[in-house]
Amino acid sequence: MGIGPMLSALMRNKTGPALVALQIAVTLAIVINSLFIILQRVEKMNRDTGIDVNNVIITYVRGFGDDFDTIASINNDLDLIRNIPGVVATTVSNHVPLSGSGSGTGLRTVPDETIEAVSTARYRWTEDGLDALGITLTSGRNFYPEEINDILPESSEGSQPFVLVTQDLADSLFPEEDALGKTVYWGSMDPATIIGIIGRMHGSWVNWDKLGNVVIQPGKPAYTSNKYITRVEPGLRDELMPIIEQKLGESNRRRVINSNRSLEELADRSYRRDRGMAIILSIVITLLIGLTALVVVGLSSFHVTQRRKQIGTRRALGAKRIDIIKQFMLENWIITTAGAALGVVLTIGVAYWLEVSFELERLDWRFLPAGIVTLWVLSSLAVFEPARRAAAVPPAVATRSV
Amino acid sequence: MFKYNVKLALKSMRRNVILTALMVAAIAVGIGISMTTMTMYYMMNGNPIPAKSDVLFAITLDSWNPIRPFDDDRPERAPHQLTYHDAERLLALGEGKRQTAMFESSLIIEPVDEGEMPFETGARVATADFFSMFNVPFIYGSGWDRATDAAAEPVVVLTRQLNERLFGGRDSVGERLIMQGTYFQVAGVIDTWEPTPRFFDPINGGFHEINEMFIPYSLALSLELQSTGSDWGWKNEDITSFEQWLNSESSWVQYFVELETPRDRDAYVSHLDAYVGEQKRLGRFERPMNNNVYDVMEWMEYHEVVSNDSKVLVGLSFLFLTVCLLSTIALLLTKFIGKTSETSLRRALGASRKVIFNQQIVEVSVIGFAGGLVGLLLAGLGLKGIQYLYEAPNGLVTLDWVMVSSAIGLAIASSMIAGLYPAWRVCKIPPAAQLKTQ
Repeated sequence: MGIGPMLSALMRNKTGPALVALQIAVTLAIVINSLFIILQRVEKMNRDTGIDVNNVIITYVRGFGDDFDTIASINNDLDLIRNIPGVVATTVSNHVPLSGSGSGTGLRTVPDETIEAVSTARYRWTEDGLDALGITLTSGRNFYPEEINDILPESSEGSQPFVLVTQDLADSLFPEEDALGKTVYWGSMDPATIIGIIGRMHGSWVNWDKLGNVVIQPGKPAYTSNKYITRVEPGLRDELMPIIEQKLGESNRRRVINSNRSLEELADRSYRRDRGMAIILSIVITLLIGLTALVVVGLSSFHVTQRRKQIGTRRALGAKRIDIIKQFMLENWIITTAGAALGVVLTIGVAYWLEVSFELERLDWRFLPAGIVTLWVLSSLAVFEPARRAAAVPPAVATRSV
Repeated sequence: MFKYNVKLALKSMRRNVILTALMVAAIAVGIGISMTTMTMYYMMNGNPIPAKSDVLFAITLDSWNPIRPFDDDRPERAPHQLTYHDAERLLALGEGKRQTAMFESSLIIEPVDEGEMPFETGARVATADFFSMFNVPFIYGSGWDRATDAAAEPVVVLTRQLNERLFGGRDSVGERLIMQGTYFQVAGVIDTWEPTPRFFDPINGGFHEINEMFIPYSLALSLELQSTGSDWGWKNEDITSFEQWLNSESSWVQYFVELETPRDRDAYVSHLDAYVGEQKRLGRFERPMNNNVYDVMEWMEYHEVVSNDSKVLVGLSFLFLTVCLLSTIALLLTKFIGKTSETSLRRALGASRKVIFNQQIVEVSVIGFAGGLVGLLLAGLGLKGIQYLYEAPNGLVTLDWVMVSSAIGLAIASSMIAGLYPAWRVCKIPPAAQLKTQ
């Protein structure tokens, strides 16, 4: 049987097939757009942070009482943590990368306030900071211990005029040349020399488009709340976290340990919207594909039952089993393809709506052919079993009345 | 007749269990998903204080850098918080019916007895008007009065949870606790209060939990309270003392005012303009005059409290519901075709088209109702999942009666829409035609 008679059969009762085609079209539009969003979120969550996220522990502490000596407390705490076996390095930092909380500033290459500054996240930590996060320098040097000052919230003495910058920041500041050794200017127009360049490091705000822009100053921030960053040997993190908390707690009762968490947990929390979206959409498309497949299977089974007599007649007239299977598969293929054609239009429409209204990225066109091929395969699988059952209808059915 | 129709419907549903189950499942999944996303959206988009949302206003003044705007992408916007200095002056002028300056801070509650452990607690630092402006409910005591603000007395209002932790939930009014080396007297304990979104501070998070306690704004100066919320600065100022920080151009204080009529609103804006004009003469506020008051819903809009993701999910889930309806229509059509002979027979025995039509509609309504019920269960599950995924505070996403009734209503309405065409087709079956072939 050629495609001609089949089309005319479909056209005779067009509502049913049209509905299925429409359903396939909308399904395609939802699935392709959702998959695209999911993949983008997964890609975002899996970006290289430049940080040894899995082996870092973050401890937030805060002293209280008028006689609390912040600097002495920090020095004691750092010594105490450093001497725990399994600890690689520890530092005190003004902020914690990937945590959602941080400080930002603008840098310029010339001391002129009217020129727009390059925005960047700003950290301040000791000579152990890089090691405590597992960050590597690609050129230049780290801070020397003698460059680390105590930075009190209300002292006029600031950091030494040396900074580390990430490659991303270096490229934004000095697109044409090597940034190492160059001078940059803070908002106050105070200069600082770039002494080292970090290949990659993410700052605090994971949704910021300049996440890779980071500048680091030398110093030991001694504020009301202190944040310790500690890196441990691989595999020891969960074992050492309670030990750190316990030792700190025992050493000083005038200090509250507000939280002691893995950096992994903090980063996960920063990405929870993206993860949530990816998971919700995955559930949605799984349900959707399941539902559409079930409906296609259900409908074709029903049609097979309805058309037993017709099938029997064809078999009696000499059609082979494979012809019957072919007939059902082809019929299904026509409906699917019509649905896919409409689906492409719908998909592009939905993608356009998402792009314009919600500033989502433009759909990658390669998702379309991939979606259509998948659709063909899935719908063929869905209709195969009913088609096989149709082929099993014996020719003799035609001769019986109902 | 209705009862008979329902009986027929149930009978017919039982006859082809698989198709019926598929239809119920299709509607249930469609309702479940779209109700989940709708509830999320509805919560985010809801009016957190319907009684007063049009008389409460957030204030912005453009004290930013003369060279560039606060937000390069939206140059018309002033900074969304005030400097401490400006907030102080506006409080002193007191032109609104009520007003509060506020920020988030945190203090350590020190142990009274040796055995207890100190712990850090989040505080909202605000004025006496905060409680009456925002209709905060109390279980014990009350807020403090303006005289307490003026005298900068250390008093504290606790949330129910903190009172539970500190005093076992009893009436703790008059009790004392030590923070920053100072004795604070408990003035009141508020009842559970969860405006969603947290309209008075979308800047530090519209869906955060309410701060654990409240203390007078005037204590900021004497206790040197630091803000734990966001602060924004543009000017290079040498800040080496707390006092210099308070007098800096950093904007970190949020300001709300209550104004009763649109006329008061206009008058208030003129007061703001007059204040800024005076400051301009002193050399501050070098940008063009840009003072704004935003009512609660405008303020939510300003901070895009409803995330784009949740809007995308609502859109996609309604497309999903369309797929479910298309499935239902296709399944119904198929099912009715299978019922042709029965319908012919009923018609031949005298049933009118209207009777047949009604019977079909009752049948799809029953399916829709069943789908709606299962869908509600799914939506309940979905919301639990969302609460878990987004670590939302308890009670933020729940199905209320509005959502429950709209779910059932939507299910029945959409299944009836789905059923119209198939029912119409069934009505057209001629009485005798099918009987002949038997």
